[in-house]
Amino acid sequence: MSKSNKHHMGIRTLNRVSNGAIYTLLAIISIIWLIPFVFIVLQSFRVENTYQVGYVIPQQWGFQNYINLWNSDFKRWYLNTFIIALAAAVLQTVIVLCMSYTLSRFRFKLRGPLMRFMLILGMFPGMLTMIILYRVLADLGLTQANAVPGLILVSVASSGMGYYVSKGFFDTIPKSLDEAARVDGATRLQVLTKIILPLAKPIVIYTILTAFMGPWGDYVFARYVAFGTSSGYNVAVGMYSWLTNDQIDRMYTTFCAGGVIVALPVTILFLCLQKYYVEGVTGGAVKG
Amino acid sequence: MSKNRGSNTGGSRIGSLLKEYSDAGYLRLSKLQKFIYKILRFFCSIPRAVGGFFVKLGRIVKKAAISLADNIKDIGATFVHGDWKTKTSFFIMGFGNIARGQVLRGILFLLFEIVFIVYMITAGGYWLSMLPSLGKQGPEQGYDPVLDTYTTLYHDNSFKILLYGVLTIFFIIALIYTWRLNVEQNKLAEKYLKDGKKLKSDKEDLRSMVDENFYKTLLALPLTGILVFTVMPIVFMILVAFTNYDGAHNGFSNNLFTWVGLDNFNTLLSWQSAGGGQSYSATFGEILAWTLIWAFLATFTNYFLGMFVAMMINKRGIKLKKMWRTILVMTVAIPQFISLLYVSKMFAKNGLINLTLKDTLGWISQPLPFWDDPTWARVTVILINVWIGIPYLMLITTGILMNIPADLYESARIDGANAWQQYTKITLPYMLFITGPYLLTSFTGNMNNFNVIYLLTGGAPTNPKASGAAGSVGYTDLLITWLFKITTGAESQYYLASVVGIMVFVVVALISLIVYNVLPSIKNEEDFQ
Amino acid sequence: MKKLLALIMALAMVLSLAACGDGSTPSEGEGDGGGSADISGTYDVVIWAPEAAVDLTKSQVEDFNKSNEYGITINATVEPVSEADAATNMITDVQAGGDLYFFAQDQLSRLIQAGALSKLGTSAAQFAKDNNNAASILAAQSGSDLYAYPLTADNGYFMYYDKSVVPDSDVDSLEAIIADCENAGKNISYELENAWYTAGFFFGVGCHSDWVTDDDGNFISIDDDFNSDKGLIAAKGIQKVVTSKSYVNSSTADFASGSAVVVTGTWNYATIKDQLGDNFGVTDLPSFEVDGQSYHIGSYSGCKLLGVKPQTDATKGAAIARLAQYLTGKDCQLARFNSFGWGPSNKDALADPAVTADPTLAALNEQGNYAVPQPNIHGSWWDIAKVITTDIKDSDGSEAALKAALEKYEQSIEAVFTMSDDVKNAFTVIGSINGDGWTLDLPMTADGDIWTSNEAYTMDAGVEFKCRQGKSWDVAYPADNYVVETAGTYYIQLNAATGEVTLIPA
Repeated sequence: MSKSNKHHMGIRTLNRVSNGAIYTLLAIISIIWLIPFVFIVLQSFRVENTYQVGYVIPQQWGFQNYINLWNSDFKRWYLNTFIIALAAAVLQTVIVLCMSYTLSRFRFKLRGPLMRFMLILGMFPGMLTMIILYRVLADLGLTQANAVPGLILVSVASSGMGYYVSKGFFDTIPKSLDEAARVDGATRLQVLTKIILPLAKPIVIYTILTAFMGPWGDYVFARYVAFGTSSGYNVAVGMYSWLTNDQIDRMYTTFCAGGVIVALPVTILFLCLQKYYVEGVTGGAVKG
Repeated sequence: MSKNRGSNTGGSRIGSLLKEYSDAGYLRLSKLQKFIYKILRFFCSIPRAVGGFFVKLGRIVKKAAISLADNIKDIGATFVHGDWKTKTSFFIMGFGNIARGQVLRGILFLLFEIVFIVYMITAGGYWLSMLPSLGKQGPEQGYDPVLDTYTTLYHDNSFKILLYGVLTIFFIIALIYTWRLNVEQNKLAEKYLKDGKKLKSDKEDLRSMVDENFYKTLLALPLTGILVFTVMPIVFMILVAFTNYDGAHNGFSNNLFTWVGLDNFNTLLSWQSAGGGQSYSATFGEILAWTLIWAFLATFTNYFLGMFVAMMINKRGIKLKKMWRTILVMTVAIPQFISLLYVSKMFAKNGLINLTLKDTLGWISQPLPFWDDPTWARVTVILINVWIGIPYLMLITTGILMNIPADLYESARIDGANAWQQYTKITLPYMLFITGPYLLTSFTGNMNNFNVIYLLTGGAPTNPKASGAAGSVGYTDLLITWLFKITTGAESQYYLASVVGIMVFVVVALISLIVYNVLPSIKNEEDFQ
Repeated sequence: MKKLLALIMALAMVLSLAACGDGSTPSEGEGDGGGSADISGTYDVVIWAPEAAVDLTKSQVEDFNKSNEYGITINATVEPVSEADAATNMITDVQAGGDLYFFAQDQLSRLIQAGALSKLGTSAAQFAKDNNNAASILAAQSGSDLYAYPLTADNGYFMYYDKSVVPDSDVDSLEAIIADCENAGKNISYELENAWYTAGFFFGVGCHSDWVTDDDGNFISIDDDFNSDKGLIAAKGIQKVVTSKSYVNSSTADFASGSAVVVTGTWNYATIKDQLGDNFGVTDLPSFEVDGQSYHIGSYSGCKLLGVKPQTDATKGAAIARLAQYLTGKDCQLARFNSFGWGPSNKDALADPAVTADPTLAALNEQGNYAVPQPNIHGSWWDIAKVITTDIKDSDGSEAALKAALEKYEQSIEAVFTMSDDVKNAFTVIGSINGDGWTLDLPMTADGDIWTSNEAYTMDAGVEFKCRQGKSWDVAYPADNYVVETAGTYYIQLNAATGEVTLIPA
């Protein structure tokens, strides 16, 4: 038990913390948070060496690394990832909304068992199921060069498990709205499309945003599915190989340039839609 | 650090908490006592719960048996008393529906039966028959003397047999269920017609799909996906734990694999030294301990620091709130494989941080062993995880902090509570109550946080004690990254990884169960609505 | 009703999976075995080559298409797959892997075991043996068979150094180099927590670690003396490096990030040359001193190999073999040397003046006097041996601690051969069957106490053999060798309860 002495000191300091101190602290935190990104951007413009060096600011600035990117398979990887992200954003959102809306609004016999079952399923580490999913995709012909549809299929198919956040959001929409509409003779479908969906705009955007962001970082499974076929890689798989021992000295700055190109659109999109993301997270995530 | 003014809780009192309190007695306890009491009660109740579980299990089995008997009786009765349409439906599914005008239902039933029969004849029968042996004939090498070339003939594939065998069983269960549904529908239809009621027309059926049965329509696609791409792989994974599937028995291009019973569980849980190093069970125990420590620290450092940052930004009078938030939130937006890989290189022994400290600033003479020393590596991983996690927590807590009713603080201030007291009396309890479920999912999520460990350290530094265990175990390895290493290591012991996977499940489930029983706010989801 | 809908959907999914799935169950034969030796035609071939070699490989295949005399046209898809990852990728799914792939030799046994390498035909093996140096042939060999074509013989390591920190007069002494770097506040990049580098110290003091494999790529035993008095000297050498404040466990081109010495191979030449400019130095590894005696640090010398995936079609297999021979021939090896400095294994290419004049290959060559050709190594050894360094680094530095590290290493190695009960209990036939000289254990299958050989063997009169248990001589029947009296083709049968051996005519 830390005794009250400490607490009182804490109180006094807390009380005395002026806004000035908070600003200082926030500034320090901001710097720490931004440093790696600033460094990546700086190094992506470095022309003189392609390997890791002990300084940050380039001696010679230029777009050489971006030109290298353009001449590599990166274009293809980027397109692949973009397609996956787009498809996942649309399809996952549909699936997640179906699932979460149903579990929030309908009371049917198997609802409880179903939710418990999915909770239990979620406790299994997904890592191992990779080899089975690979085999299923291989038999459907959706691996290697066809990895893109394969990755879309897998990411969409099991997305129903991630209904928690949006269910939490739907739970906050009063049920009386549904009931009023039902009394007026609307079908359940009409209730969903005419009444609930317009109200659920924040969570729809949140779901689209998170689904869109996911594929940009997908590495392990994507590598498994596209193994040995460059045309099926996504950015993470392709760029990861640049940091292996035999390539890092040639590709390090190119990796940084790639990082900038990957992060830029996602970050801009994210910052534009930040409001909805915050609403989604605070509205749904904590309720689970 | 909860407040225990009034009753002096020492360790000595904890013993007395073991006795069961009446409601009145319980209410007199302090918060800490209540908390400890609940945890102790939970452990005390385990034997009873386990006993209860078996009693319940017995009841369920009994109930299932009775229900099975009832079902069979009902099916028999339906057949005996049914008219010719119903009787025909026993063999040609959907016949009764079609004959009674419910064409749509009937066709679906019939289609399902036809597809099933075709499938079983063309493929299902083969997979099912091979399931007990997982294949008979491995690949064969041939030699063509004219072309002076070796060839390989492939035969059975254990992997596919297991996979499609499982699928076929799923399929058979589906057929039995559908057949039963078909019989039931015939019985009901007959009864309805006898009573002079009208059956639902196809049009009404279709309409109900978007109305009272709308939930079935909505769930069909998501649940099919989950069944095929989540449930089936997990069943497969569990089954692999009972085979000898590994690099030397990959089931197709070298040797077939087969069932080995509980051998793999014995291997993992045995105390025998695994190849010069410590035993598997000791390695497993070490990794599990670190996994739990990591999950605990990762969850709570993020939680409290995130809350702290949120409170700073939210403080009245602080300007540019949006800018501060945006800066932090950028880490959420940038894909982890970029930010983590970059940061990992930054902290390397010859990375940017060490070089700056050593050469540019001259503060240190030797590079700091961020990734080379077990303790350093563990601390660094947790710190970098804070960097990744705070923004997210900041967002979550911001929303909740703003929702705390202002009058609570107002009345506290009138009572003379200072900032710290306000925090511990109002903010923290409120936060903990609301975020209880989130903390649990976050804890289990961190236990399986593959990305942070894999991208930052890859498990390094190597743990020499565990050298005999599969894969190369490191001090920062979590169970999930170890599992990954086992499958990608030199011997690719999928069976062992599968056992570890099952163990991870057991641990996560156990923790969830405990928390579920101790924390009240998780139990009742309706409370939130 | 909607349940039905869901079921139908599930069903469609199942069906489509199964329909694709069962296509490969009944395996079809490989076509004509005899027939003519005409192998002309067009073949689709997937080649996995390291990123740097992709373009060159494409043009080499074009050249092959133009110049080959067999009428073969190869329609090649060349994918960038690092030679270090080839095994991991092949093992994911052998069927979907590359038909031809570059790989580093340490993956040979894993690949054979996974059924991912096709044995070379007699003439192809002869071609490889005639044209490549002995060490590279050893690398591609398991038992008495060749499983791959040598591509390079440059997979070794030596020392690059910064002349402004380490003067040329110091480069022969490990102690001097360490002192120079420590004084200058510079690092020594030496990836000793990687068994490939760890082992060098042991070879330097005269230790050996030899693995024995059978023709199927299975490891039978290891002859290893790292845990010995000599080994202790090596451990002391390792200790000198890893306890220095300059030690960095790395083998990348670190001269721009604080290192003055990097132990690595030819692949980093261009980068390091660029980093060091006028201060560029390259030489063989130094010597270290223990108890007044000097030991030159050894190393592994190894190869990159070109592997062929097992083919179901003999004609395609023969065509690919021709392509593989072309790609590993003198001209292609020299082209790779000229493009990115890969040191050839081809004897003629090695004699080329450009090759002999190359500074890194010269250093490699010099180091070659202390290098051990890398044999076929059990996959788990890499994880076991690297721990020696970790143990030394973490120890209190006493001699007892070093001994303990070596002791543990030995135990771990032995445990690799702790056989499963299945293998321990199984009987095998060993003898002069098929002209073998008592080296091969032929498998038998049990039915209760009755063990029967899996195959029937054609044996002349006078052939001798025994049936033994667990590949050891503790339990072996009959007591004296069984001698075949009448030539013929027989199954060999053993009654394990009585020890009686009989021949069953096939």
